[in-house]
Amino acid sequence: MAGLAKCARSLLSAPGVTRCILPRLSAAGLVNYRHNAKQLHSCTVSSQILSLMIPDIQQSFVRTYSGKPPLTIKMVEERVLLVLRLYDKIDPYKLTVESHFMKDLGLDSLDQIEIVMAMEDEFGFEIPDSDADRLMTPKDIVQYVCDKEDVYD
Amino acid sequence: MAAQNLRPKVVELYKTLLYLGRDYPKGYDYFRDKLKKAFLKNKDVKDLKQIELLIARGEYVVKEIEALYMLRKYRTLKKRYYPDSV
Repeated sequence: MAGLAKCARSLLSAPGVTRCILPRLSAAGLVNYRHNAKQLHSCTVSSQILSLMIPDIQQSFVRTYSGKPPLTIKMVEERVLLVLRLYDKIDPYKLTVESHFMKDLGLDSLDQIEIVMAMEDEFGFEIPDSDADRLMTPKDIVQYVCDKEDVYD
Repeated sequence: MAAQNLRPKVVELYKTLLYLGRDYPKGYDYFRDKLKKAFLKNKDVKDLKQIELLIARGEYVVKEIEALYMLRKYRTLKKRYYPDSV
């Protein structure tokens, strides 16, 4: 880096040379040259002003790819209940973890299918029909999601 | 007993239609209500032949909706190329 900077400085000091050499430089070389020129200019600016001008970019640059924060049973339960509360055919005041969709909340099997679809969207995995038939209470769903996502405690 | 074997098909049809309904021009809620009514209207059908006919009709509707979306896409694109056309 220092070598490059020195090289750039010598180039800057002789403009004629720059003109005839630059066309032969590759694109990558050009980028390097520009970068170093900027560095040279910034030498005149005091470091205090510089720190004011450049926003703090020390945010987290950790890439999680498709990873997500680990779930807990409590979180799963909250998310399930939130989805159910937002569902327009369920009375949010009647809803508890134990309430049965058909017996307590007065839904039919088509509503139950819709609920299962909403859960698929919420947790991002597909629930096969054979399992979907058994999910009749919020508690069942929480249990099922925990099994699938390997949440134990 | 045999009617139970058709149940997964009906469930799958309902799911497919619900999924397609998300982009329905008149809105998802409108579509969902209509869909539910259509399914509930035939909830007491016991005859196997009849159920199969109804499923076939549902699959036909799926294709129609897909065609509708394709046509809408085609028209949107056409409008961008030729703004004066219908």
